[in-house]
Amino acid sequence: MTADSSSVALTNEQQTAERREVFQYVLRRFGVYLFTLWAAITVAFFIFRLVPGDPMNILLGNITRAEGRQRDAAEQEVIIARYRKIFGVDDPLPLQYVNYLRKAILGGLDLGPSFVEYPAQTKDLVFRRMPWTIGIFTTSVLLAWLVGTGLGALIGWLQRSRLSQLAVVISTLLQITPVYLVALGLIIYVGYTWRILPAGGPYARHLQPEWTWEFISSLLTHAILPMLSNMIVIGAGFTLGMRALMISVLGEDYLTFARAKGLSPYTVLKDYAFRNALIPQVTALAIIVGATLNGTFIIEVLFQLPGLGTLFVQAMGLRDFNTMQAVVLFSIFAVLTLTLIVDLALPLLDPRVRRTA
Amino acid sequence: MPALLEIRGLSAGLRGRRSVTPVVSDVDLDVQAGEILGVVGESGCGKSTLAAAIMRLLVPPQVLQSGSMNFRLADGSYDLAQLPARELRQLRWRQLSYIPQGSMNSLNPVLRVERQMTDTLLQHGLTKAEAHKRSVAALELVNLEPKILESYPHELSGGMRQRVIIAAAVSMRPALIVADELTTALDVVTQRQILQELAAIRDELGATIILITHDMGVVAQIADRVAVMYAGKIAELGTVNGIFEAPLHPYSQGLIGSIPRESGQRVEGLPGEAPSPWKYPGGCRFHPRCPEVFAPCNERIPALLPQKPERRVACHLYDAEVAADA
Ligand SMILES: Nc1ncnc2c1ncn2[C@@H]1O[C@H](COP(=O)(O)OP(=O)(O)O)[C@@H](O)[C@H]1O
Ligand code: SF4
Ligand SMILES: [Mg+2]
Repeated sequence: MTADSSSVALTNEQQTAERREVFQYVLRRFGVYLFTLWAAITVAFFIFRLVPGDPMNILLGNITRAEGRQRDAAEQEVIIARYRKIFGVDDPLPLQYVNYLRKAILGGLDLGPSFVEYPAQTKDLVFRRMPWTIGIFTTSVLLAWLVGTGLGALIGWLQRSRLSQLAVVISTLLQITPVYLVALGLIIYVGYTWRILPAGGPYARHLQPEWTWEFISSLLTHAILPMLSNMIVIGAGFTLGMRALMISVLGEDYLTFARAKGLSPYTVLKDYAFRNALIPQVTALAIIVGATLNGTFIIEVLFQLPGLGTLFVQAMGLRDFNTMQAVVLFSIFAVLTLTLIVDLALPLLDPRVRRTA
Repeated sequence: MPALLEIRGLSAGLRGRRSVTPVVSDVDLDVQAGEILGVVGESGCGKSTLAAAIMRLLVPPQVLQSGSMNFRLADGSYDLAQLPARELRQLRWRQLSYIPQGSMNSLNPVLRVERQMTDTLLQHGLTKAEAHKRSVAALELVNLEPKILESYPHELSGGMRQRVIIAAAVSMRPALIVADELTTALDVVTQRQILQELAAIRDELGATIILITHDMGVVAQIADRVAVMYAGKIAELGTVNGIFEAPLHPYSQGLIGSIPRESGQRVEGLPGEAPSPWKYPGGCRFHPRCPEVFAPCNERIPALLPQKPERRVACHLYDAEVAADA
């Protein structure tokens, strides 16, 4: 009768085989990651160049307007020719593409000069703007995930109570509201009508970035509404997702058994319901991260924050390919990396994946 | 000797929008200390509902409608039907254990076996070392090695998982174990082994077991007494030997007649189908399928009356009063 219990013990061979499998999984996952990154860059490269409008003409128009005088045609030709050379847009597209990749990979992330803030390097521009986006985006998504997961677990656990049903209705309404409407609502009511919190700009206009309490508190209060806009919509989604996961877990046989064992409701909730619902909820985090980055870009524009979203909009106006590409590159990189981390971390949470991975 | 568990007038049903549909109706049942009581009936007759009602584990829309369940222990008597949640929790596992139907999925897939066996023991006040020792001892009762504690459920075979559940259920040496379709999903060999292990556990721990099954063969193998259930009511109650030798209720006769005796030999089953709770007929619920049906059967509900020693039957055929009227 004990014969079949011997299968539990893993022989050394099995363990080695298992380790090899895990290694292959990680390798394969990493390959997919690199391929996706490359594909996204490539698509972005060609798509942006198909947008009508010559960046040189637009740039020239801006210079002209700034200087307030019209140049003659010959002079214009010279300027355009010079810029075209700097930006390398004279070469045929395939060559431009190869050059772009070569510089980006071998040249230490040399993404070319930007048109938006010429002669600043695109790379520097992106690095300067990135903290805003990362700060607002990651903080609000993580907070939304924490709050949504907790709230969703609670209303799933108390699924039959009135309050929990009300919470579901509210979350559903919030979840289907576009993020820009929520942002505009907050700007209009909280920012202008009631004047509770600032609703535009990264910090008060009269301040300079420095390590003073005044500046930091201004920075934080200015960040509340943009982050709240993001959190409300994403958090509502996380809440509903976690609630659904909880309810499906609550119907599982192992939950009935846990209750039959005489465990306290708290232990049942913590070790049996919440723990199991959490695994797919972590995966949801990775998916949502990708799907909501563009929402953050919109929020940056609406709240006039100097992040990647506003940079992208500026670059779009100038057909500044280099900058647009850099923003996309960065976004994809961030999203893919997060997904990769979650994918690789999942086996730690779920013993079932460990073997099948 | 007073019964360990004395169920009186137990009714449970499904709450609908307007009314409650009865699933288990007016069940009277005494479970004697130390016995294995089989509860047998076709699938859908309300056996699992009865088990969950005894365990107070009904989940909406299931509701306990009425009845009392007196659970007599050395330190006093508890009505399971009325017991507040906190006291119920104290009783569970210590005195009252459950092996649910579909125990294959009753283990949490993301927790190791050890954690799932010991968490209850820890909550009942044992130390870590004691809890571990008890789990190992319980596993031994079902012929599992201690190293299984390190495993996750998906690493175990169906039979092993079922054994882990049994071991968990007996680890606190409870007075009463309610086992629902213990062996249904298992192959015949494993089934037989597990039943033998269960019988051994009863002998060793002196536990009382309510063994719920749709399989008369399982009852014949290890039960002392059997309650035959039909459409949410008890049709006949008696010793296994008595009922197998001379079933009185027409439904019991049909059930016993339909046990396949020798391999290949087809036997005639019961004609017709068991009704679902929404279609329970009036009068005797068995009357549309009963070969012996007569005048009062579709109107009067037969009571579960004592017949010869150690036998109760709910059938008008054996009710002198009704027979006289007809
Ligand atoms: N939660 C439920 N929802 C709907 N129907 C149920 C539920 N629980 C039990 N039933 C119904 O009650 C009847 C008895 O079920 P059950 O007690 O599981 O029977 P058994 O265990 O004898 O097969 C079945 O017809 C079943 O469909
Ligand atoms: S009461 Fe009538 S219908 Fe019911 S089992 Fe007896 S004879 Fe058959
Ligand atoms: Mg059942």
